[in-house]
Amino acid sequence: MFVAFLKFLMRWFQRLVLLAALIALGVWLFYIGREHQIFLDNRTLGEFKALEQVNVSINDGEAVELMLRERGVKKVVGPAFELKAEVFNEDGEIIKTIMKRVKVDFSKDIMINLPTFTGGGDDFIVPAPR
Amino acid sequence: MIRKLFDIIANNAVPAVFIIISAFAIPLSGFSASYLVQELLTRIGRNSFLILSLLIPIMAGMGLNFGMVLGAMAGQIGLLFICDWGIVGIPGMVLACLIGTPIAIVLGIFCGHILNRAKGREMVTSYILGFFINGVYQMVVLYLMGWIIPITNPNLLLSRGYGVRNAVSLSGIRAVLDNLIPTIITNQEGAKQFLNINGAGSFFLVQLPFFDGAIRLPLATFIVIALFCVFIMWFRKTKLGQDMRAIGQSQSVADSAGIPVNRTRIIAIVISTVLACYGQIIYLQNMGTLNTYNSHDQAGMFSIAALLIGGASVSKATITNVFVGVVLFHLMFIVAPMAGKNLIGEAQIGEYFRVFVSYGIIAIALVLHAWKRNREREAARRSLRGNKGGNE
Repeated sequence: MFVAFLKFLMRWFQRLVLLAALIALGVWLFYIGREHQIFLDNRTLGEFKALEQVNVSINDGEAVELMLRERGVKKVVGPAFELKAEVFNEDGEIIKTIMKRVKVDFSKDIMINLPTFTGGGDDFIVPAPR
Repeated sequence: MIRKLFDIIANNAVPAVFIIISAFAIPLSGFSASYLVQELLTRIGRNSFLILSLLIPIMAGMGLNFGMVLGAMAGQIGLLFICDWGIVGIPGMVLACLIGTPIAIVLGIFCGHILNRAKGREMVTSYILGFFINGVYQMVVLYLMGWIIPITNPNLLLSRGYGVRNAVSLSGIRAVLDNLIPTIITNQEGAKQFLNINGAGSFFLVQLPFFDGAIRLPLATFIVIALFCVFIMWFRKTKLGQDMRAIGQSQSVADSAGIPVNRTRIIAIVISTVLACYGQIIYLQNMGTLNTYNSHDQAGMFSIAALLIGGASVSKATITNVFVGVVLFHLMFIVAPMAGKNLIGEAQIGEYFRVFVSYGIIAIALVLHAWKRNREREAARRSLRGNKGGNE
């Protein structure tokens, strides 16, 4: 009787472990497979003034050229990406290059304020426009 | 001798008819060999998994599982969710399978219980059950999604704010499995051109000196299908597979031998439904577009037609039947419109002809099966009477 009960418990335990593993797999797939829209914003935010020209590339992809007060959008897959921003002066010379790994985690879309990002500010991730 | 010859013809009548029609239609269509091979390879990759999912219920004596559309619907629900959440690539496909699996299991159990109450009439019952669940599916997708079930992507929803659009783009997972291991078969000249354009290392290049043209091989899909075939061959040898075969031979004998007939039949339908769910996901990743309210209907009818054209019957089907069927059935799809156009000047005539022949063949296969079964019953009865004949 006791052995049968133990077997019953074991069977349910195995099923629960399998179910938990499948749910964990689902969450992991959601995490690594989600496509995010990354809005790139070259506008003044607080103390950080809009840049004359900034070229932004994500994960070494094709660069987006953003002039003063312009916005762009890129799509990335996965919870994090490598963001590279090259800031140009009025003569078209690169004056600063910033590279940083940005985490998106579970959120769908984010916006990156480039003046804050290149100016060394911490709050460069702002809510994406609807 | 004549009887044996007659049996061979009767057993292979359907594929023979299709081979003869194809032999006339291929030259009439004027398509090149490389084009036909490319189209066939694509369609084999797209459809084989769905058709293979029909084998297990046939093994268990449940006939052609028209209820596979239930699994297809489960797969589509999984795809709708990943489209809404924006999950792309292989993770998206696997997640769609994960979401579809519990739905397919529940639908399979439901279908299995109903089919156990309709023994001997499984095919018509599962066909009607498909319509019933289609109604439930339409209610969920057309009314509950976006209203009770949260759908946040406005591109998926109808303009009224709830209900999913008729056509959903699966651009996030389009051909991800097919292109997972990019493989190109070509001759030496073609290989040089490909290497110049794409550079080395971006794909596997198979060089066939006698081959004219270049074809793209969905290698990863073929590997998945091959694994599935191995699974079916292994499954036949397991205890459960042997039980299913025993039930397929005779339910009463299997019951007497202590095999839980009803339970085993339910398992057969559940496996078939879950596999149909995966098959539909593979099919739709190749197509790249989900026809929300019709894709599953087509999946059931096309798969069953292809299997029957491959020489399978309601009571016996093999892996060979699946591949012969998918090649012959889809060869007709490719060549019939162009053959019709070249012959009569109207592509639509060829298409009508294909539809007429393809679905007529389902009717012929089913009639042949019923006729053969009656003949076997008559022969068995005659043997019990000691071959005396007469109607006394």
